[in-house]
Amino acid sequence: MGVTCVAQVPVAEGKSVQQTVELLTRKLELLGAEKQGTFCVDCETYHTAASTIGSQGQTGKLMYVMHNSEYPLSCFALFENGPCLIADANFDILMVKLKGFFQNAKANKIESRGTRYQYCDFLVKVGTVTMGPSARGISVEVEYGPCVIANDCWNLLMEFMQSFMGSHAPGVPSVFGTKHDSVYGPADTMVQYMELFNKIRKQQQVPVAGIR
Amino acid sequence: MEPETFLDHEMVFLLKGQQASPFVLRARRSMDKGGMPWHLRYLGQPEIGDKNRHALVRNCVDIATSDNLTDFLVEMGFRMDHEFVAKGHVFRKGIMKIMVYKIFRILMPGNTESIEPLSLSYLVELNVVAPAGQDVVSDDMRNFAEQLKPLVHLEKIDPKRLM
Amino acid sequence: MAGAPAVRISIESACEKQVQEVGLDGSETYLQPLSMSQNLARLAQRIDFSQGSGSEEDEPGSAGRAWAEPGEAEDEEGLVKFQPSLWPWDSVRNNLRSALTEMCVLYDVLSIVKDKKFMTLDPVMQDPIPPKQNPQFLQLISKKKSLAGAAQILLKGAERLSKSVAENQENKRQRDFNSELLRLRQHWKLRKVGDKILGDLSYRSAGSLFLHHGTFEVIKNTDIDLDKKIPEDYCPLDVQIPSDLEGSAYIKVSIQKQAPDIGDLGTVNLFKRPMPKSKPGSPHWQTKLETAQNVLLCKEIFAQLSREAVQIKSQIPHIVVKNQIISQPFPGLQLSISLCHSSNDKKSQKAASEKQNPEDHLYVLEHNLHQLIRECHKQTLSSTVMPHPASAPFGHKRMRLAGPQAFDKNDISSLQSNEGLLEKIIKQAKHIFLRRRTARTIDSLASRIEDPQIQAHWSNINDVYESSVKVLITSQGYEQICKSIQLQLNIGVEQIRVVHRDGRVITLSHQEQELQDFLLSQMSQHQVHAVQQLAKVMGWHVLSFSNHVGLGPVESIGNASAITVASPNGDYAISVRNGPESGSKVMVQFPRSQCKDLPKGDVLQDNKWNHLRGPFKEVQWNKMEGRNFVYKMELLMAALTPC
Repeated sequence: MGVTCVAQVPVAEGKSVQQTVELLTRKLELLGAEKQGTFCVDCETYHTAASTIGSQGQTGKLMYVMHNSEYPLSCFALFENGPCLIADANFDILMVKLKGFFQNAKANKIESRGTRYQYCDFLVKVGTVTMGPSARGISVEVEYGPCVIANDCWNLLMEFMQSFMGSHAPGVPSVFGTKHDSVYGPADTMVQYMELFNKIRKQQQVPVAGIR
Repeated sequence: MEPETFLDHEMVFLLKGQQASPFVLRARRSMDKGGMPWHLRYLGQPEIGDKNRHALVRNCVDIATSDNLTDFLVEMGFRMDHEFVAKGHVFRKGIMKIMVYKIFRILMPGNTESIEPLSLSYLVELNVVAPAGQDVVSDDMRNFAEQLKPLVHLEKIDPKRLM
Repeated sequence: MAGAPAVRISIESACEKQVQEVGLDGSETYLQPLSMSQNLARLAQRIDFSQGSGSEEDEPGSAGRAWAEPGEAEDEEGLVKFQPSLWPWDSVRNNLRSALTEMCVLYDVLSIVKDKKFMTLDPVMQDPIPPKQNPQFLQLISKKKSLAGAAQILLKGAERLSKSVAENQENKRQRDFNSELLRLRQHWKLRKVGDKILGDLSYRSAGSLFLHHGTFEVIKNTDIDLDKKIPEDYCPLDVQIPSDLEGSAYIKVSIQKQAPDIGDLGTVNLFKRPMPKSKPGSPHWQTKLETAQNVLLCKEIFAQLSREAVQIKSQIPHIVVKNQIISQPFPGLQLSISLCHSSNDKKSQKAASEKQNPEDHLYVLEHNLHQLIRECHKQTLSSTVMPHPASAPFGHKRMRLAGPQAFDKNDISSLQSNEGLLEKIIKQAKHIFLRRRTARTIDSLASRIEDPQIQAHWSNINDVYESSVKVLITSQGYEQICKSIQLQLNIGVEQIRVVHRDGRVITLSHQEQELQDFLLSQMSQHQVHAVQQLAKVMGWHVLSFSNHVGLGPVESIGNASAITVASPNGDYAISVRNGPESGSKVMVQFPRSQCKDLPKGDVLQDNKWNHLRGPFKEVQWNKMEGRNFVYKMELLMAALTPC
């Protein structure tokens, strides 16, 4: 796992999500990247049930359970600003058992699907973010394989992203700030995705359909 | 060949809801072997129709997790009910796992160095994880338990009686 | 008698008390002696006051007068009548006195008889004794009887002794068997079933999953005659191995050129390898069991290989015939793995006489096969299978880490290495073959071409799938100057990767010709590089240099290289063109003033133009002195450099 940056690319003026994605992928192919299959990152939201809120005396927390096709045998569970647990695939079954305590906000399920491109040491994933049937945005994930210390290769990543994303290249992700010199891990990537999904969810301000 | 020994630290977490019975999750880690993932286990209620079976059957979900499991469970709302250290040997016969271990009480919460044994005797546990519906397994377990007869009497336990 | 001296007699009273009773523990209870008053009472009781003293007369009279003492007066009698034992010693004295009287009488009689004057002793006539029996006969009988008695005792003793000796012998034999059995137990697993002792020589306890029982039976060797001398190699224990594990076996792995016809396949090549000599001191059952175990292992290896050969799909299918597996690692090449099992019976002895080429057999691969199957065994037994923590489900340790540590697809696929035994051994065979052929190519080139020289330094530490060799192309005598061609060859399974000193990486296929062509082209380049280095040393200036010239005839292998160098004062120039096929061509450029047959023209008026270099002349290189190209070049340069 190398250092990864997840960013959102705004939809180009007058174009649809699909067309913007195509623009990006064509730029990548011109650069010389080769297509290497597809990827999918999805996120489900769980809400602490009302029954438990009362007894605990605190506001309900949102728990996100995410999967990444890059790590097919793992399941990521995280709280916003909280710990991120990496477990194996049986965690989903456990969430089914915890139905009474944590309820799945099914309408909040969000995912990003797209193609993977390999360009020497860089792995680029351009995906369409969809919530339900509608496409809401575009996510771009760039991974620089050889490096594991976030702050060491940020400049290189940014330069690379500028080469095909142009002015839409993002700033330093927030997770990098807390990392300092510790090793970057898959959990940090999932945190970035979670933040991206939350941002996209808030953008169009679609009301979260019934928690119950 | 030496039998495999183990030293585990188990913590039992409860989530109290409006229902009468709290949700129980068991988090167990290996203290002697480094680099092994934590083991999170959920055990359901004993199945109905259990009377004819020779062994206790419960629904079970086993999850291997990363090391920040306890923090995560606390964040989810679980609270630790009790913890203990188990030390002993583990054996295997096909899919049957036999554990012979002593339970140690932890004197200071959080400190696994200061432990004292709960009793001088060992606990022998025979368990099998099998796909749902395979009841034949309990017969094999009983046959195996018969072979241990004069040394150990393995019996089906009723968790309700212990609660 | 009156003259006889008085005899002094000493008397002692026993003074013993009467025993009343003897207790159970032996202690005696004594009657208490009577006290004075009690004594008096007793005596008083005796006196019959009703009778007078007259009755007392009869008593002494009725008592025998046999011991009437001659010296005693009658008044003594009377005294006795009236005084019933005044003192306790009275009777004693009387008895003694009568005894003395008797003795005196006897003495007197004997002395008179001795004299024979007044008295003689006459024997009484007895019946004549019966005619004297033969004393010898009696003696014989008595001797016989006594001897018989003695003999009986001796025989009994001897019988006991012989019985004990026989028992000892039996014990010894029994003990020998037991001690041998103990030794056997130290090496092999034994168990008792009924009254038979069975053992296990399979690898099941070491992790093998092969379905062969592998049980042998331990028999007591009782057909030994105790009377005869026990032979040297006698062993009280014998083992009986299963019939299909008899004899010895090994796996023969060989690489050959492809057999022209398929009809040759399936011939069981029973190359009887001599039985490995048993270690001195190890009993014969140990070698027997070890050989049987080896046969079992070879069978397992072959079974696994044939199973994989049939199941795994490869581009060129593997052929499995009887005891041979044939596959094709490279085109034109054939790898055959066969199980050679020779039993000890006479039939196979004849077949073994056919000549086999032992050099064909790749011992390394056979050893590797054994190692690989043992690795497979260890996999099933490895403790990474046991879960830690203990409550976790069974499964490989790395698989359980895959979830929490977020393994990606590469990591997961490396977890599940599904390369079987056959694939591994074919890869190893390919590598061995490629390595051998590379070595042969380099060696043949080295022996064929003397200038430049090619040196190969093989690395000592290799992998089963990779070896490396460093190839240097040098000129003899100029190794320090001309060392620009250094190649590192990494020989893999199917390809050879060449890393050049200047950083280029070239991948060659397994074709022999490619490597040879490449080396030849490098050798030709080396000559030109050598000239460049030589020029530096000699002070000549390099005017032009090209590794791949586009002029002149096209080479079939690689490209020609060329260099032009000028002398220090600029008068002369040497131009060299060297190609792998066309060889070297050396031309020298002379100054115009030295050329006689130059056309004179009107354009060049000044004399100074005559100092420029003019036409080229070819050097007859083969007539040049010098043992190699660089030496010749040095001589040429030296000749063209005026002092």
